[in-house]
Amino acid sequence: LINCADFIAEIGNYLEGEVAEEIRASLEHHLKHCQTCTVLLDSTRKTLKIVTETGSFDLDAAEFAPVAQRIMSKIREGAK
Amino acid sequence: MAFVGDAGWGESFEPLAALREHFGFIPNLFQAQTAAPELIQAEVALLETVLLSSRRLTRIQKECILLTLAAVHGNGYCSAWHYQTLQLLGVPEDKLDKILEDHRAAGLQPVNTALLDFVLTISYDRAPAADEDVAALRASGLADDGTLEAVHVAALSDFLRTLADGLAVQPDFAAPGVQPLRKPRLREGKRTTLHLETAIPARLGGPLDALRSVLAGEAALRGYEKILVQLAVSLANNDANQASFCEGVLLSLHALPDANRLTETETALMDFGSTGRAEVLRQAGFGPAQMVEAVAAAAFAKLLNILYLGVGGGPPVELSGALQSLALRIASKKAHLLTPESRHINEIPDPDSECVAQIQAGKLDAFEELMNRHHRRVYRTLVGILGDPDEARDAMQDTFLKAFQHLDGFEGRSKFSTWLLSIASNAAIQRLRDRKPTESLDETGSDPEEVFRPRQLKAWDDNPEQLYSQTEMRRLIERGIMGLPAKYRVVLMLRDIEQLPVEEAAAAVALRIPAFKARLLRGRLMLREALAPHFVTKRSEGSAKGVPV
Repeated sequence: LINCADFIAEIGNYLEGEVAEEIRASLEHHLKHCQTCTVLLDSTRKTLKIVTETGSFDLDAAEFAPVAQRIMSKIREGAK
Repeated sequence: MAFVGDAGWGESFEPLAALREHFGFIPNLFQAQTAAPELIQAEVALLETVLLSSRRLTRIQKECILLTLAAVHGNGYCSAWHYQTLQLLGVPEDKLDKILEDHRAAGLQPVNTALLDFVLTISYDRAPAADEDVAALRASGLADDGTLEAVHVAALSDFLRTLADGLAVQPDFAAPGVQPLRKPRLREGKRTTLHLETAIPARLGGPLDALRSVLAGEAALRGYEKILVQLAVSLANNDANQASFCEGVLLSLHALPDANRLTETETALMDFGSTGRAEVLRQAGFGPAQMVEAVAAAAFAKLLNILYLGVGGGPPVELSGALQSLALRIASKKAHLLTPESRHINEIPDPDSECVAQIQAGKLDAFEELMNRHHRRVYRTLVGILGDPDEARDAMQDTFLKAFQHLDGFEGRSKFSTWLLSIASNAAIQRLRDRKPTESLDETGSDPEEVFRPRQLKAWDDNPEQLYSQTEMRRLIERGIMGLPAKYRVVLMLRDIEQLPVEEAAAAVALRIPAFKARLLRGRLMLREALAPHFVTKRSEGSAKGVPV
């Protein structure tokens, strides 16, 4: 039998589908009885979805262009 | 061999005579080391303890382990040696060929199949022994001391193979005709909790101590130079435990090198340790005796690494800041032959290799193309470590300029993108250190074993992404991630924002995979806590229907 701490320790692997069959069964058994871990799992899954899909920290090409120009001119200077 | 020093001992030298007695001949592997007689003596003692004295496993079982590992690692010298020995011990050639082709289909007894499965796991997959492995061996009828003996034999195999490779020894016999094909399994089992390691000192302690003390001594190489090789091997193998041990020894000798100020000798020794390429040493002007000692030091570190994996890997250890810098420095030079993970990665052609070749040939414009391909990942890596978008933009310039300056030395041993990201992490870590000595990537902070206690336990909205505009959403996530401590932020950026495979992301920050995953989980849970107030469902907010806490 597993407790909430065991469950939390396995959440990452569970979400990525990387737990062995028997561990998964006992995690899912725990979920049936534990509302707290159900919420935790659901919100962690949603966190991952949001984080991977929102496109955070994207540096668009227009922002990078002047940096690239500076770097290229330094490189060309150095090559002369 | 070019540098076999005939030091005039011949067969009157006792350890060599012992070898002739045991094997019926003196293997070239030891002839090649006559420049370092004390080493040979310690190595023969190791062979006598692990291979030649019989305990739970028979000599044939041990030789089968050695043959299988030599063959699967493509080591011609050791394959030929152990194949010949097994024939002399009466095992028919066709049986040996079947084992090489596929040991599971060779009609072996269950215990022997389980033994070979086990040693392949630790020596080829380089995965720590898991409870399930030990259980499988028990189920096949092997007692735990037999399992431990198999660990010792697997470690001996890594030792012998490293010597044979490093010294480029000519085979004593013709190589077997069959070459096995095996794909790494790359599984992360739960480490075994059996603590077999308590039995190591009793069994192997003597020979290991003897080797360690020969390698610590001042001979052709200085003692600390041999420790440096061991440190590089350990870092390249992600063996943080052994690396930290070497660090301790080097610190006590006041000889821990600074990653940014390595001397030529230190560079050569570390490059050799991390890539296994002995020609690096020859090019740097090392003599025969020095090369033998450096190769033996590397072999010893490999042996310790397998012993460590074979007993489940022990508790994870964090690398210090100094070691992280050294690890990042060698990550770019690491040869593909060290781990199955990187070998795997190397099978895929690098999409950037053509651009790199053009730049190396003087066509500078191709560098702009490379920057356009990679500026996003570089930027995210830098933001992840620095936690500050403006500083990340500055660091970007440093990163690309440094990459350009060092591009001549890039030999395509890793993917260009991996190499570039390790330069970026290095640059960012250096800035972090200069700026804020309190926020370090290696401080442990809270005990990693301590259970994380979630506090935000209200149910989330079914479609949280619809609660805010895209821009608001990005701002929330970015603020949440920036609020994490650096060590969690970095792993989260690499894995969830950059979406690198776990193996690559862990390598970029010089963490073992289990340690990386533990940090990632903690980072994700902390981010969930930070985001929760924005996403809880309106139904549960302030109502009695909320989730009981």
